[in-house]
Amino acid sequence: MSSDGQIDRRSFLTAAGGAAAAATLAGCSGDGGDGDGTAGDGESGDGDGTASDGDSGGGDGASDQTLVYARGDHPENYDPQQTTSGEVAKVTNQIFDTLIQFAPGSGGQLEDALATDYSLDGTTATLTLRENVTFHNGEEFTSSDFEATWRRFTQSDYQYYLGDETRSGYGPFTLGDWIESVDASQDYELTIELTQRYAPFLRNLAMFAAAVLSEAQIEAMGDNQADLGTEPVGTGPFQFDTLDNPNERIRLTANTEFWGDGPQVGTVIFKTITENSTRVQDVINGASHITDNLDSSGFQRAEESGTATLLRKNGINHGYMAMNMARFEPFRNRTVRRAIAHAVNTEAIVNQIYQGFATQASQPLPPDVLGHNDDLDPYPTDKEQAQSMLEEAGYGDGFEFELATFSNPRGYNPSPVQTANQVKSDLEDIGLTVNINQFSNFGPYLDYTSAGRHDACFLGWYTDNADPDNFMYVLLDPKVSMDAVPDGQDWVSFDTEGYSTLNVSGWANTEYMELVREAQRTYTEGDRETMYQEAAQLAYDESPWVFIDYAETLRAVNEAVVADSYTVSSVGGPYLNTVELQ
Amino acid sequence: MNWTQSLFRLVEPVVPPRFVVKRLLLLVPVLFGVASVVFAILHLAPGDPAIVIAGQRASTEQLEQIRQELGLRRPLWEQYLSFLWDAARFDFGQSYSISRGNSVRSVIADRLPITLELAIYGQAAGILLGIPLGIISAVKQDSLTDHVTRIGALTGISVPIFWSGPLLILLFSTYLDVFPTSGRIDSTLFLPDTWTLFGRELPLTGMITVDTVLLGNTEAFLSAAHHLFLPALVIGVYSTALISRMMRSSMLEVIRQDYIRTARAKGQGAKITLMKHGFRNALIPVVTVIGIQFGTLLGGAVLTETVFGINGMGLTIVTAIGVSDYPVVQGTVLTFALLFTLVNLVVDVTYSYLDPRIQQ
Repeated sequence: MSSDGQIDRRSFLTAAGGAAAAATLAGCSGDGGDGDGTAGDGESGDGDGTASDGDSGGGDGASDQTLVYARGDHPENYDPQQTTSGEVAKVTNQIFDTLIQFAPGSGGQLEDALATDYSLDGTTATLTLRENVTFHNGEEFTSSDFEATWRRFTQSDYQYYLGDETRSGYGPFTLGDWIESVDASQDYELTIELTQRYAPFLRNLAMFAAAVLSEAQIEAMGDNQADLGTEPVGTGPFQFDTLDNPNERIRLTANTEFWGDGPQVGTVIFKTITENSTRVQDVINGASHITDNLDSSGFQRAEESGTATLLRKNGINHGYMAMNMARFEPFRNRTVRRAIAHAVNTEAIVNQIYQGFATQASQPLPPDVLGHNDDLDPYPTDKEQAQSMLEEAGYGDGFEFELATFSNPRGYNPSPVQTANQVKSDLEDIGLTVNINQFSNFGPYLDYTSAGRHDACFLGWYTDNADPDNFMYVLLDPKVSMDAVPDGQDWVSFDTEGYSTLNVSGWANTEYMELVREAQRTYTEGDRETMYQEAAQLAYDESPWVFIDYAETLRAVNEAVVADSYTVSSVGGPYLNTVELQ
Repeated sequence: MNWTQSLFRLVEPVVPPRFVVKRLLLLVPVLFGVASVVFAILHLAPGDPAIVIAGQRASTEQLEQIRQELGLRRPLWEQYLSFLWDAARFDFGQSYSISRGNSVRSVIADRLPITLELAIYGQAAGILLGIPLGIISAVKQDSLTDHVTRIGALTGISVPIFWSGPLLILLFSTYLDVFPTSGRIDSTLFLPDTWTLFGRELPLTGMITVDTVLLGNTEAFLSAAHHLFLPALVIGVYSTALISRMMRSSMLEVIRQDYIRTARAKGQGAKITLMKHGFRNALIPVVTVIGIQFGTLLGGAVLTETVFGINGMGLTIVTAIGVSDYPVVQGTVLTFALLFTLVNLVVDVTYSYLDPRIQQ
């Protein structure tokens, strides 16, 4: 049976038995073998664990050093026009430049970048561009690069248009809705005509989505525009070197021709560690130098570690609970909303649940943003007053409503479920019954709230451009025509023509709408500030939201990073070009 | 006689082709069922792919445009048929989110070797430890060693990976600092895309320990092995437990057989009898368990990869579900189903070869 090369069962079993016997012998001596392996690996591991430090120490000059930035997610496409993800922006901000940028650590002030002079007058923006700047592909930067960038992002008649299903929502939001035409006839002068007066426009040019791409690269990509994000070419301090998707890493190398400060290190590696606790441990151990998006316990561990420090900065964001007037009738009563604002103990939420890594919110606009009204204090928690207000509104017997919440931490709400339970417990004290509707995924959650299917919901917002319009108009103006709001009513339904679903409370206060729309067209800073202060007062008085918190921007940084060389910014960045390692 | 004929002659008498073809045909309804269930679940679940693609800032008009372009406004049956047709060609389109702009095929091609590598090492650990432990346990039945092994095996089966993984990380990485917390290789070590054999550039396998050997990069190999140790151990513990229990019971059954007694009566030594006659026959059910276990290991990889932050198929499924990246979910789940059924097919064929009665 076993002749002529055929295999019979006996010989198969013999072979299998032999192999297994060998395995048995190996297994019997396995302890020793594994032990050796472990020890050997362990030794090399110790070396590996501090490899980047080793490199740093061994380097003659700063340019040999490797900076490792640990983050929680690894997107695989680094095209600033294809994403709304902050994780992508962290990387693209190293590779690309914008025409104007947010000054590091300033809380949103603008400064020169690829444009050295800029102004906005009426509906015309004029910019003078920086000369002698080259892209990483060697092409010189000129005004036509910006024109190609804009056209690729927003103009469907452009040969290299990115496509509706590929470009991100920032296309119209940042440039498309506002730019009428771009004049790039002179290499270093750019004239942009707007569709209307729009005060935040220059700030939009500083957003990561408005990063300037290389026209030569756009043309070279031809029909494969979606692939640009796997080999991005910009003018920034670091150039793209390796995208290692299987190991979730990116390697950037220093752009020695960079026009601005730095870079101080030769290589930047973005590595991915999904688990918060593991990521902070990596920074404490010195295997990574900087990390972000930790929960409060992670930040505490970094603070107490002795080998890492915690850098803190006022954030430009807002976490809130929106009350949906379009769906739930009792919320249409202003006194009810104010009663709820008095009953929810935001001080306890911020200090106990968020462990002090956030401050209590008093109005839609966070501090540091133009128009923040310093006269407004957070609603004091007073349950007796809240109870009597409910009685005054005719709801003394209470009512029951749904509070929708996401489950996973977000910067502005690091413990959503605990926060929901706190709200439930606070409102129970004044006779209201809260049914928590918990969503495990954020995508379907947004779907739900955008459709206005919630009674109340938690949401929040990180600024795009540090402009007051980015909170006041974007989140609380329904964007419908003034005529669409019935007289004597301060809400509209979600199916009203033109309604923006970013306004999840259905609030449509015409006085407020007039103010923020006028402020959007006003260029005099003092006048704008007054308008937003008035609008903030209105929002405070009317309470379409319970203003919960402004979260701090926090980074855990290993001691190998030279103090003050890394500046935490609440918008833009991270500014890794200035980071030095010891 | 050419090589195909030789191969046919080699294989043909071992397992009848009809049996293999029949089993292969049975894969079709299984995969069809899985595909249909995946399609149904994703279309019943809340979540709008348009929002996933365009983000929170997108206008209603932009979202509607995207829905039209993705064909989400077509009737459900039409979407279902086109999904089945695409799935049959293993074409799931492009990833919405986690690998934006790339095809799901390329995502799977990147991730599959990572998971297979993990499962292979887990399986190897299971075989190397499970078989000897099972034999020792059987030979020394009811001794202290047997009790300890059995309790250990039961514990290994019972302790979930999402518990044992973090505990091992806490012990070996946080407190002892002898193993890295996550990843597959040190963050500063990068490998090229290809390796060279006789002057020809060839693609790498995606299995990092294999690739580092092919590249002759010792430092990278040690780092990869160092990173792989804990995850492979976590997967291997479960496998070890199952294999050792099966090995023990199978061995106990075999050593009570008449032919073992006959061999001993003929004066053959206990060890030789055990290894030559007992062990080989006791191995038959264990081979089956090892095969089936490999499929289960792929499932275990979902948890292990999540705990250790290894970007294989398991973590990809979890992430894709989290961000509603439906094409990736569909592609990866169907790949898992295909792999699982193929492994079972191989087990069936092997077993039918070992025990021809199964072909009846």
